[in-house]
Amino acid sequence: MANPNQLSLSDHKQATKSLTKALLDKVAYLESFEKAVQDQDDRLVYQLIDGKRYATEILKQDGAEVDDTHEHLVRDSYAKISDYLSKNLIDYLCEMYPFFYFEETAIGQYQFFFGNWWGRRLFGTLDVLKVKFNFDETEYQKLARAFALESENKRLNSDQIALLSQQSDELQELIDGQNERDQRKDELRQEIKRTSQEKVMPWEASKLKESKQKLIDELSYLSELDEKAGNAYRQIRENEEKILALSKEDTLMSYEKQSIVAKFGSFENFEAHNAALYRNYIADLIAKQK
Amino acid sequence: MTKEYEKPTETFRPNNKKNAEETRAYAGSLSTTGRLMSYNDQLKESLKRGIYFTKVLDELINTDDKNILLESVMTLTDYRLDTAYLIFPQQYSRADYYLIFLNRLLQLHQNEQVILQSSDHQNELYHEFPGINMEGYFTFKIDENMREGAYYVDKSTGARLFYINFKRQLIRFNSQALTDLLVVDYSEKFDYKTVKRFETYLVAIGKYFKEDYGFDVDFNLLDASNNASYQISSADEPREALDKLFIISADAGYMLVAGESGRAVLQLKNNVVVSILRQAEHDDLNNASWVIKVQDEGHKVAWFDILYKYEFIKDWYLDNLTSLAIKSDERFF
Repeated sequence: MANPNQLSLSDHKQATKSLTKALLDKVAYLESFEKAVQDQDDRLVYQLIDGKRYATEILKQDGAEVDDTHEHLVRDSYAKISDYLSKNLIDYLCEMYPFFYFEETAIGQYQFFFGNWWGRRLFGTLDVLKVKFNFDETEYQKLARAFALESENKRLNSDQIALLSQQSDELQELIDGQNERDQRKDELRQEIKRTSQEKVMPWEASKLKESKQKLIDELSYLSELDEKAGNAYRQIRENEEKILALSKEDTLMSYEKQSIVAKFGSFENFEAHNAALYRNYIADLIAKQK
Repeated sequence: MTKEYEKPTETFRPNNKKNAEETRAYAGSLSTTGRLMSYNDQLKESLKRGIYFTKVLDELINTDDKNILLESVMTLTDYRLDTAYLIFPQQYSRADYYLIFLNRLLQLHQNEQVILQSSDHQNELYHEFPGINMEGYFTFKIDENMREGAYYVDKSTGARLFYINFKRQLIRFNSQALTDLLVVDYSEKFDYKTVKRFETYLVAIGKYFKEDYGFDVDFNLLDASNNASYQISSADEPREALDKLFIISADAGYMLVAGESGRAVLQLKNNVVVSILRQAEHDDLNNASWVIKVQDEGHKVAWFDILYKYEFIKDWYLDNLTSLAIKSDERFF
């Protein structure tokens, strides 16, 4: 019996029905999720956590029509889902990208190194749920530049190394020239002494002063060089360290380039492959299901 | 064994006037006849000492028993042949007996590769190694601090290749001398085969002492066992040197790889693997040092061979000795 004092109350029966349906929908979502995990159906898990993306990228459908209202239900379990999905994904990646070495940093979270060689670079993190590499921007740009420089037949740090080597050569010359400079300084000092003692006619005085100034200028220039030479050893040592770091980076980069070319043929193909990683991986899962 | 010859000798000086006067004071206790008899006894004693020496020398020259051989050389290198009464003007030195002994030991193993030469000029014996010939002149040099020990030395360069001590029963090879002489000097003058033969000869000496006499032998960089860890003198991580190795390996067509727990691994030809790592000493993690290890299937390759066969590794090692030099036993080198 409806209470006549109330103006518009919803039908309780209707409400019960509607809530029950909503709950059953959620249960159905979770149940199918649970079943997917039981069946080890990673493809379905990917569809269930991001239906819109699955529809657009895999089914080539309009993502707007996909009901994704239940996806938030598992959001607090992402770490666990990621942990679960990582096994097959990393197996796949190790085959496709044999030069990436993955390391778990927390449950379901991974970072990866480029290569197994000495001094290999930490290259980024893996987003398991999105099937996506999050490359370290700086390192990735270096690699991109190294590929770009290939056409000029240069390595990433060739110019800088050449510059530092040249600087070191000049500094070495400065050090080697010390004896010569010392000799010249002695000569200059004696010359200056001689000029000071020289008696000349008044009209020649300014000319004498001028030539004396020239001698003094040269002497102070040589002393400047001496000072530079004094710091040269330290500078050369510092340059050596810099060159070592730069050559090491070039060597790393050449290994990275070789790895990419060996697997993908070119940097462009590598990038294209990265962009299509989600689609390729799901396609691989589908292919394996059959 | 030599104890019986260590009786204090009484000095008899028949021509010394001053002494003659002094002796008159106790002429009562020692008559002329008594003194004569005592002199005669001392002579007999000295002759006996000489005879015994020749017996031991016979053993050194002729015995086929390795233990008697060792005993004889230990006796001879610790023997005082001269007495106040009898002096032998022609004698071999202690160092000479070490050389003779080595040749005998090698001979008993049918492996006498080194030639025992006699230098009239220096009035001593020395070793000459076929192939190295006049470039090497090897003798023993008695350790002045510890008389029972001696160094096997190349006289022209002064390189002390190994130390041997009969009493302490040990042999220690010297990484620095072996590097300087065999890796740097000889590599310019001789082919690998010759130097390798010389190295094998040195290793054989160590091996015989170890197997025949139970000596404690440290082969150092000549040790081809996979268990050998060549300890680096410097305690610091050779980070810069490893970066350099990474670069030059790449240039030479090899890849220095990051192995487990921070070790650097270089895979060479024929499944030979060189690793540089921090290794705990006697499982004591606080007391760890950097070491080089060489692994191969037949336990045949030592760090020495790597230095010899791989030019880029040799250059790298020699250029970075301050951070890479292999340690030798500090008590002797």
